[in-house]
Amino acid sequence: MTFYLTVSLAIAVSSIAVLGTFMLTGMNGLFSLGQAAFMGLGAYVSAICVVNYGLPLPVAILISIGITIVLAAFVGLATLKIRQDFFALVTFGFGQAVIGLLTQMVNVTGGAMGFSNIPEYTTPALAFISLAVAIVFVWGLRKSHFGRDSLAIRSNELAAKVAGINVFKHKMIIFIISAVFAAYAGALMAFHTQYVEPAMYGWITSVTWIIIVFFGGRDSLTGTVIGALVLLAMPEVLRFTAAWSTLIYCVIILLIINLRPRGLFGTWELTLRSLTRLFKPKKAVEEVK
Amino acid sequence: MENSVVIEIKNLTKIFGGLCAVSDFSGNLCENQIIGIIGPNGAGKTTIMNMVSGIIQPTSGSVVFKGQDISRLEPEKINHQGIARTFQNIRLFQDMTVLQTVMTAYSWRAPYNVLETLLSLPRVGKFEKEIREKSMCWIEKVGLTEQANLTAQSLPYGMQRRVEIARALASEPCVLLLDEPGAGLNQSEVCDLVDLIQGLHEELSLAIMLIDHRMDVIMRLCKWIYVQDFGKGIAQGTPEQIQKDPVVIKAYLGEEITNA
Repeated sequence: MTFYLTVSLAIAVSSIAVLGTFMLTGMNGLFSLGQAAFMGLGAYVSAICVVNYGLPLPVAILISIGITIVLAAFVGLATLKIRQDFFALVTFGFGQAVIGLLTQMVNVTGGAMGFSNIPEYTTPALAFISLAVAIVFVWGLRKSHFGRDSLAIRSNELAAKVAGINVFKHKMIIFIISAVFAAYAGALMAFHTQYVEPAMYGWITSVTWIIIVFFGGRDSLTGTVIGALVLLAMPEVLRFTAAWSTLIYCVIILLIINLRPRGLFGTWELTLRSLTRLFKPKKAVEEVK
Repeated sequence: MENSVVIEIKNLTKIFGGLCAVSDFSGNLCENQIIGIIGPNGAGKTTIMNMVSGIIQPTSGSVVFKGQDISRLEPEKINHQGIARTFQNIRLFQDMTVLQTVMTAYSWRAPYNVLETLLSLPRVGKFEKEIREKSMCWIEKVGLTEQANLTAQSLPYGMQRRVEIARALASEPCVLLLDEPGAGLNQSEVCDLVDLIQGLHEELSLAIMLIDHRMDVIMRLCKWIYVQDFGKGIAQGTPEQIQKDPVVIKAYLGEEITNA
C-alpha cells in the first residue's frame, strides 16, 4: 500500500470514532473522556479473538462490539442520571481504568509492550465503505426524532422531559451507539496498523476527537467530517515542520475556535439545496437588503 | 353539571429542608373544568404544579389521575398519561424553530427504533410528515402559523408563551397545567391569552389547572379557585365567593380592593 493510501485509510477509520463523539458530545453535549477506551476495547478484543483464538474477522468484531455494548450500558447506567460534569469525570476514570487493565494483563494483552502480529485484514474498501455507512447512519439519525430530541435535551433537559421525551433512555442509546462506533473503528484500526498498545487509547485521544467536533462545528455533520479529515491529516501534513508541528496545530485550532465559536461550518450542511444556494448567493443577499 | 374527577389531589405536602412549601393541599380537577390556584409569591403554587407534573416528588400525599396514583412517576411518564404543562419562566429549545419545538412532543410516540433510522426507512419519513402536519395544526390553533419556521427564541415574549402552549397541546393531553401564563405580558397580550385559553378549553374540552397571581386572569377563566398562602390552603370557592371571602381579602386581595 502506498503511503497516501495508508494514511487516508487510517484517517477514514478514525473519522468513524469521531462521528461517535459527534453524536455524543456535539449533538447531546455529553463530554466523554473515555471514548478512546472503547476504541481500545474494540481493537484488543477483536485482535485477541483473531490471533489467539483463530476466529474469523466478522465474528471477532461482533464479539468486541457486544462487550462494548455491555460495558457502555454499565457505565451509562451509573452516570447518565447524574449531572453532566460528573459524566465527564466518570468516563475519564473508566477510560483510564481500561488502559490500566490492558497494561496489567500482560499474558493476554502483552502489557505496555503492546500486542502485535495482527493480520492486515482492513482493506481500503472496507474502511471507506464503513465510513460512508457511518455517515449515512448519523445523517439518518439527525433527520429522525433522535436528532430533534438531542437538541432539545442539550438545550433544556427539564422541558424535554416534560414534553414526554425519555431523557435517560435517549442518552443511553446515544452513548451506546457512540461507543460502538469507537469500538468498530478500533477493530478496523487494529487490523490496519497490525499492532496495538494501551497508550494509544488514553484520554488525550478522546479529547482530540472532542476538539475535532468543535473545530468543524458541533451542529454540522459536514463540518465534523471535514474537520476530522483536516485535523487528522494535519499531523502528517505538518510533519516537515518537525518539532513545531504541535504548536502550529494548536494555533490553527485556537484561531478557528476564536474566530468561529460555532465551528468552521456552524450549522451549515452539505445538501443539494444548500449547494445551489451557495452558487448563487449574491442575488439572494441583495434582494434581502 | 356533574363531571367525573380527572385529577384528585390528596393531602399533598412538600417540605424542603425545614421549609414547608406546601402543607396538606387537597383539591379536585374535573373533566372539562378550569380551576385556578392563586396566592402571593412563595405561597407554594408552583410547587403544587411541579408535584402534579412529576418534576418534584411530594414528601407525603398523592396525586391520583384517572384512578391511578401518579405522584411517584417521572415527568415523561406523566406526560404520556395525558398531563402536559407550561413553565412560568419559559423553557424553549435553543436554535429550534417553532415547528421543531412543537414536534418534540411527538417524539416518544415514534413507531421506529434507532436502528431503523440507518436506512431512513419510509416509516421514518411517513411519521415525520404526519407529525409535521399535526404540529402545524397546533401552531395554527395558537395563531403562530406565520412564525412556524422562525427560531422560537427570537420571538417576542408573548409569542414564546404561545409556543410553549402549542408544545403542551401537541402532547395531546386531557389535562393542561399552565404555570403563570400571564407572567411578563402586557395588558392586551393578557387579554388575547385569556381568549386563547378559553377558546382551547371549549374547543378541545380540556381540563385546565391554572396558576396566576393576576386576579383578572383567574377570575375570568376559572370556575373554582383555591387560595394558598404560605403553603397553606386558606380558602376555596367560586370566583364570586373568593372575592367576598374576608380571609382571602385580608391575606391577599386587601390591598387591591382598597386601591380600587
